[in-house]
Amino acid sequence: MTGYDTAGPIQDTYQSAYDEFGASPDYWIRYFHPSPAADLFNDGAVAESIGAWESGGGFVGCISAPVQSRLSGSAAEGQADAQAFAAALLSAYHAVYPLELPANNQLYCWLDQEYSTSLSPAYWNAWANYIAERDFDGLGTYPLYPCLYCDPYSPYPNCTTIAKSKGVNVPSAIWSSEPEPCGSLTKPPHWNADRCATVPTRLWQFGEQNACNFSANVDLDADAPGFVTADYCFRLASKP
Amino acid sequence: MRSRMRVSTDRRRGAGRDGFRVGRREVLTGSVGTGALLALPNLNLGSHPAAKRHAADSSGTFGRYTFVYGTPDLGKDLAGSLVAASYPAPKTASVLSPAAITMSPRTIPVAVNLAATPVSSPDQAVTAVATVEMTRDGAKVKMVLLDPATAKVARQGSVTLDGVPADANILVTPVFAPDSEVVSLVLAITRPVTRRPVHKVHPLTGKPVPRLATTWRSHHALAYFDQRTEAMTGPFYLDDEPSLALSTAAASGSELLLWTTREPQPGDPAAVRAQASLSRLSVFPLGSGKARLSVPAPAPWPGGEPVATLPSGDIARLVRGSGVQVCSVSTGDVTELTVAAFSQVRSRPSAVTMQIRPDGTAFLTKPGSGVAVIADPADSFRTSAEIRFPPPASPLGAPWSKAVLSAEGETMYVLGPASSGGLSAYEVSSGKLTASYTEGSHYYGLHQMPDGTLLAVQPQNPRLAFFAPDLSPLGASDTDLYVSAIF
Repeated sequence: MTGYDTAGPIQDTYQSAYDEFGASPDYWIRYFHPSPAADLFNDGAVAESIGAWESGGGFVGCISAPVQSRLSGSAAEGQADAQAFAAALLSAYHAVYPLELPANNQLYCWLDQEYSTSLSPAYWNAWANYIAERDFDGLGTYPLYPCLYCDPYSPYPNCTTIAKSKGVNVPSAIWSSEPEPCGSLTKPPHWNADRCATVPTRLWQFGEQNACNFSANVDLDADAPGFVTADYCFRLASKP
Repeated sequence: MRSRMRVSTDRRRGAGRDGFRVGRREVLTGSVGTGALLALPNLNLGSHPAAKRHAADSSGTFGRYTFVYGTPDLGKDLAGSLVAASYPAPKTASVLSPAAITMSPRTIPVAVNLAATPVSSPDQAVTAVATVEMTRDGAKVKMVLLDPATAKVARQGSVTLDGVPADANILVTPVFAPDSEVVSLVLAITRPVTRRPVHKVHPLTGKPVPRLATTWRSHHALAYFDQRTEAMTGPFYLDDEPSLALSTAAASGSELLLWTTREPQPGDPAAVRAQASLSRLSVFPLGSGKARLSVPAPAPWPGGEPVATLPSGDIARLVRGSGVQVCSVSTGDVTELTVAAFSQVRSRPSAVTMQIRPDGTAFLTKPGSGVAVIADPADSFRTSAEIRFPPPASPLGAPWSKAVLSAEGETMYVLGPASSGGLSAYEVSSGKLTASYTEGSHYYGLHQMPDGTLLAVQPQNPRLAFFAPDLSPLGASDTDLYVSAIF
């Protein structure tokens, strides 16, 4: 299955993406607070959800892209960013009545680590631990799972950092940004995502707008064989 | 246009490293439990051999220090750390022989396990670093102001938060105020309130795994450090629990503006859930813990967006990477402005920066869109100059500073294109490329020192590369830090 990630509002993006790729995505992945340089899903959750529904991709995955220097920082910084991320997820969940947790009760929460960013163990462990232990909406089911978007073969610490994590701090999945052979939504390349040694890559960003000269404001993502990303996203039960 | 190719570099691997070895005496584990990775920094630079060499250096080759922040690469479980790197003075082209391009062995460790990313004063006269030490009675927050001329402690102060449990996390944000000697400290205190046994489904096996889950609550406190007397006032505890630890703060000459966000709760009524923003802006007179003004603040929630104090005293937030919110310091009213050159949406966010220049104009960069502008805050951020350039590699990655403006405002330096790397220089008035330098290396951050020297950072040692304003290489330094920011 394939989907889009974008820093722009879904309702402003899906038509141009459809025009370019001629198909509906199986899911969207959108930025949530804290992502200070992006339009945020939680700022307009209703309109975004309507856009997702109308696009035919009624599943919304969640990523946060904090100021990248913070990822080198302290446990206090990691915990604060995770707390804000979880709060933004809850705010969106509250704002959109038909926005539901995944049926398997596992919502993957991606932390955006860019190529030139180093991830400190203190930051990661605090970030992951808060996400994993968050009693989301008081449900008592702890449905948030920490995951890492990164370039596994970057020379900066990413895989080596998470390799030291233990228990619930171990990310559930890697979303790899490399390699980048491009392709299209309906014809993704054969699975060849870069990997970390200790955590499986479940999602592959195989086409980025800038590198692949897409006109639509989307990047293209593909699921690992046997994995269904939409099952780990917010899902819209009906049109908001 | 000038184009330079690097001819030779002395890459003595290992030589000149900052020796970022952290001994048992220097790293003190202050407490146990989550977030207990705390240390006291080695701030005794006066006794460091490299500092002594620097002090004794009378050749004039090395002028001052810059502070480099990042993650140590020694495999230790350290958080953000800081080294001081001396840098060579700009040289004329006549001395740019290969022999002149040598390693600068003057990086020395400053601090480990900082509580937060350092902050420089607007005039770059000092850099503030903060550490937290958990004690039996609470948390001791220490702030040190480092002098880049000497790499020594200029001033320091501390404040103790009584009754904070050992497993709490303290997020420290120093805030400089233009035209004031008072440095505010915004302290977010996050403490565990409950621990209970739960079963969480394992992501790989699908089976429930028993464990203890912790619920956390955050509130804020303020403290104020007077640079003249080195006296710390506070802490003043704010009645804002439950709030998010993440906040944004800026200061005018006499007041601190603090954006905070109420943490949404499971039992929130529908009316609260429907609110577009749960954020508030509070205005505190410097030295006070009582807000003079507290009003709802428009989205987005605060947290990491560039913020700057304008010459008028009002505060500007660069939000969503595309627009500016100007906040009246007197009323809290917010005016939303658009930076037209930043309005193009792309699939990926970009790093964004905003800096107020001595002439009152603002320099804003958005490298992911390949654009930087000079705008006039006094005229609704009207753009007076716009420079377009090919986006560099990793435009969102650390460090966020990818483009800098010369002190005179005539030249903008930026990381080279993703395809070729290197550095580029553009004439601001015309937007034309005037110089470039490449030898195949990709740099990921760019910083300019007060004397005009440029510092570019790359992943592998020598990670610190110094350039003259004409982009001629001056030297390079190893460091054991993966560089995240430069001050």
